[in-house]
Amino acid sequence: MKIIIVGAGEVGFHIASHLALENKDVVVIDSNSEAIRRVSDNLDVQTVTGSGSSPVILEEAGIKEAEIILAVTDKDETNMVASLVADILSPTTKKLARLRNADFDDFHVTFNKHAPHIDTLINPEIEVVKTIDRLMHMPGAVDVGEFADGRVKFVGIQLEKEASVTNFKLSGISSGTGIHLPLIAAIVRNDELIIPTGDDKLRAGDTLYFVSEDKKLPEAFAIFGKHAEPVKRVLIVGGGRIGFRLARHLEKQSVYTKIIEKDYNRCHMLADKLNKTIVLHGDGSDQELLREENIHDTDIIITLTNDEEINILISLLAKKMGVNKTITKISKFSYFPLMSMIGLEQIVNSRLSAINSILQHIRRGNVLSAISIKGDKAEVLEAVAMETSDIVDKPLKEISFPKGALITVIIHKNDIIIPSGSSMIKPGDRIIIFARKEAIPNIEKILAVKLEFF
Amino acid sequence: MNWRFIVKTIGMLIFYLGLSMLFPLICGLFYEDNSLIPLSKSLGITVFTGSVLFLFFRKARTESITHREGIAIVAIGWTAIGLFGALPFYLSCGFESWVDAFFESVSGFTTTGSSILTNIEGISKGLLFWRSFIQWLGGMGIIVLSIAILPFIGVGGMQLYKAEVPSPVPDRLKPRIRDTAMALWKVYILFSIAEVILLMIGKMDFYNALCHTFTTMPTGGFSTKNLSIAHYNSIYFDTIITIFMIFAGINFSLHYQMINGKPLSYWRDSECRFFLGVVMLLIVIVSFDIYGTVYKQIGEAFRFGAFQVVSIVTTTGYATADYEKWPAMSQSIILLCMFLGASAGSTGGGMKCLRIMLCLKYCYKEIFSLIHPHAVTHIKIGGKPVPEDIIRSVLGFFVLYMCLFGICSVLLAGMGVDLVTSFTAVASAIGNIGPGFGFVGPAENFAHIPAMGKWLLIWCMLLGRLEIFTVIILLVPEFWRK
Repeated sequence: MKIIIVGAGEVGFHIASHLALENKDVVVIDSNSEAIRRVSDNLDVQTVTGSGSSPVILEEAGIKEAEIILAVTDKDETNMVASLVADILSPTTKKLARLRNADFDDFHVTFNKHAPHIDTLINPEIEVVKTIDRLMHMPGAVDVGEFADGRVKFVGIQLEKEASVTNFKLSGISSGTGIHLPLIAAIVRNDELIIPTGDDKLRAGDTLYFVSEDKKLPEAFAIFGKHAEPVKRVLIVGGGRIGFRLARHLEKQSVYTKIIEKDYNRCHMLADKLNKTIVLHGDGSDQELLREENIHDTDIIITLTNDEEINILISLLAKKMGVNKTITKISKFSYFPLMSMIGLEQIVNSRLSAINSILQHIRRGNVLSAISIKGDKAEVLEAVAMETSDIVDKPLKEISFPKGALITVIIHKNDIIIPSGSSMIKPGDRIIIFARKEAIPNIEKILAVKLEFF
Repeated sequence: MNWRFIVKTIGMLIFYLGLSMLFPLICGLFYEDNSLIPLSKSLGITVFTGSVLFLFFRKARTESITHREGIAIVAIGWTAIGLFGALPFYLSCGFESWVDAFFESVSGFTTTGSSILTNIEGISKGLLFWRSFIQWLGGMGIIVLSIAILPFIGVGGMQLYKAEVPSPVPDRLKPRIRDTAMALWKVYILFSIAEVILLMIGKMDFYNALCHTFTTMPTGGFSTKNLSIAHYNSIYFDTIITIFMIFAGINFSLHYQMINGKPLSYWRDSECRFFLGVVMLLIVIVSFDIYGTVYKQIGEAFRFGAFQVVSIVTTTGYATADYEKWPAMSQSIILLCMFLGASAGSTGGGMKCLRIMLCLKYCYKEIFSLIHPHAVTHIKIGGKPVPEDIIRSVLGFFVLYMCLFGICSVLLAGMGVDLVTSFTAVASAIGNIGPGFGFVGPAENFAHIPAMGKWLLIWCMLLGRLEIFTVIILLVPEFWRK
C-alpha cells in the first residue's frame, strides 16, 4: 500500500512514522528541506522536496500508484489545491485533506458530498477536543474511544488499591464478590500489554481496557471505584488552536471557562472570538496568577501549551495548589509510563489523535472507525463483517482468529452483544475488534473482501 | 474648502424644499383655507432663492466631497432648510415673531415636536399639513432623501450620509449608498402607508390620519389637535400609534431585513432586544406605579403608561396623559427615557440604545478587570467585537452630550426660566423629544420661553438631530483652518 503525505509538519511526521512502522510505502512531500531532512533522518520513508500542490512533484512522488494521498500542510488552501491536482492526475487515489480553519467545521459534510476532489476532510484538532471532552466527563479514565455512534465506549482506567476487584482472578470475581465485570480487553502492567485470560489477576496500578455500553458506563466505573463529578469550572492553559476549540466547545455546554495565554496578540484574538470565556494574559506557570484566579476552586485544569514539559509542570503545580483533576497534553509516547508514576492520569496525545483521525481511512476492509490506544501498542477497530469474509456464519470458537486479537462486541442490527464462544457473526453485523499492533495486518486480511486475495 | 460647491448644493436643497411646499398648497387648495397666500408666497421665495444660488454657482464642480465639506453641507443645509421651512409660518398669522416661526420649523424638521402654538386647532389646515409634513421629511433625513432621489449628489453621497446619519456602527444595506438611502426611504414610506390605512380603519379622517402618520413615523410628535392624541380618547388609536412609535424606534435596516423575509433579524439584533426589553420593563414599572394612584383600573394604567413611556423613549412626544400629575417614580422614569432614546438607525433621537449599551458594557469591563486584573476583554455587541475607536467616540459622545446638556440648561436658567423647566426643556430639545416638565410639560408649550432661550433651544435641536459632532464641529476653529 502506497501512501503520499503532503506536509511534514507535526501531524504529517507522526502519521508517516506510524505508517512506516506498519511496513507501508510512505512518500513525504514538503517544500521545507529542513522538515524533509528530519523525516528522512528518522523514518524509513521516501521524501520529495517541493510543493505538494505541484503536478510535477506529485508525479515524482508517484501519485498514480498511490492508494491514498494525505494533504496535511499548515495551509488549508494548499491542502485543497493539492487534493485537486492529485484528483486530476490520479482520480482513483483516495484523497484526505486537513482543513484546520474552524469555519469549515460545519461544512465537513457538505464538502464530503460536493467537493469531488476531496474524499474526506480531516482535522486532528477536532479529535483532540473530543478526547478531552470525553476524559473530562469520565473520572479516572486514561483513554476513551467511541464506537457504534457513541453507544459503545472503549475505556482505559487505572486500578487503585481501594477498588474491590483488586487481587482477584478474573474468573473468580463474579463468584467471589458478586460483581459482573465488563469485558476486559487488555491490561497494561509495567508498560506491557496483556490480553488477559481467566487466570490473570487484577492488581493495583494496572491500566485496564474494557468495553461497555454507554448506559452501563457509570455502573462499570463504580465497580472500579470511580465516581463521576459534574464539571462546572474549567481552566485551560494555552490558547492555541486546540485551547480555542475546546473553549468554544465548553461555552456551548455552559461550563465556566477561563483560558490563560502567554501571547498578548493571541489573547486579543481569543477575546474577539470567545463570548463567555474569560481570557487571561499571563504565564500558566505563574503561581500568583493561578492564585488570583482561584485555582483551588477549579474543577479541572487542562494544559495545552505547545511545550509538553511545561504542561506536565503546570499540571503538577495545579495539583499541589488544590485542583483534583488535570488533563495534560503531551506528544512523546515515551512519557506515558512516567505519567502515572508522577500522578497525572489523564493525558491527551496530539500524536495519537492525529493518527486516530486517519486510521479508519487507511485500514482495508469496511472499517467504520479505528483508534489507536495509549502508547500506540494496540488498536480498536469497528468494522462491518462482509458476506465474503471468513468470519461470518460460524461460531466464534471455530474461527481461526489471529493471535493477539479479540472480538469484543458484536452489533447485530440494534443489539449490542458481548460475544461468547458460541456466538455467531451474521453478514452485515458490525464488530468491534481489539488487536495488538502485530495482529493488525492479519485482521485487515480477515475484514477485507476475499476476492482481493485471489 | 470648495465653498462654491457647498453653496450650490445647499441652493439645490432649498430649491427642492420649495417644490415640496406644493403638497401643503394642494391641501390648502382642497380645503380652501387662508393658508394659500403664505404658502404660495413662501414657495415662490424658496424656489427663487434656491435657483438663484444654484444658477450663480452652477459652474462649481467637484471631483469628490471631502469629509469636511460633507459636514459643512449637512450642518449649514439643515439650518438653511429650517430657515426656509419657517417662511409659511412667518407669513401667516398666529406666529408673532420670526424666532417663533423658526423655532416651530426647526422643531419640525428635527422631529422634536416642541411647539410655541397655544391653539393648534386655530391654525389653517394647509399650514398644519406643512407642519406635519416637515417632520416626515426630517425624520428619515433630508440628506438621505436627497441622496436617494436627487441626481446631482453622486460621488459625495457617502460623506453626506455619514454626517447626517452618524450611527455608532454604520450598517449598509446595499453596496451603493444611493441604493441604501433608497431602501431606507422605501421602508419608511411602506410603514407610513400602513399606518395611514390602520388609522383610517379606526375612522380617523384621511387628513388627520396622514398628519399623524407624518409625525409618528419620524418620531416627531406634532399633532393637529390641541390635546394631542388624547383628543381622540380611543384605545384603538392609542394602540396603533404606540405600535408604530415602537416600529419607528427600531433600526430601519432591521425593518428592511424583515420585509426581505427575515423577521428573526429583530430578535438577533442585540440592540433591538435591549431596546424592546427596556421599554417593556419601564412600561411595567410605570403601569404599576400609576395604577391605583392615578388610574383606578389596571387596563387604563397600562394603556396610558405604555403610551407615554413609548412616546418619550422613542422621542416622539405625543401625549395622552399629563405625566406631570403622575407619582415621582414614574416622572423620573420619563425623565430618564428622554436621555435613553431609541435605537441607532431609527428615526428617534436621544443618546440611542446602542450608545448606552456600549457605555454600560464599558463600565462593566472596567469593573471586571478589577476582579480579573490579567483578563483580556473586548466589548461586544451581538457577539462581534466593537473596535476601540468606536468605543472612544461613543464615550466622547456621551460626555459631550452631558456637558452640552449641562451648559445649555445653565444658560437657559440664566435667562429667567425656572430650574425644572430649563433642565427638561434642554433635555427635550437635545433629545428631539418635544415636551419636558414644568412650564414646558405635555399640557404646556414653549411660547413663554424668552427669545434668546428659543435660539438656544433651536441650536440644541439641531445638535441633537445631527448627533452633536456634525454641529459642534462648526464651532471648532480647527475646522475652518485652511
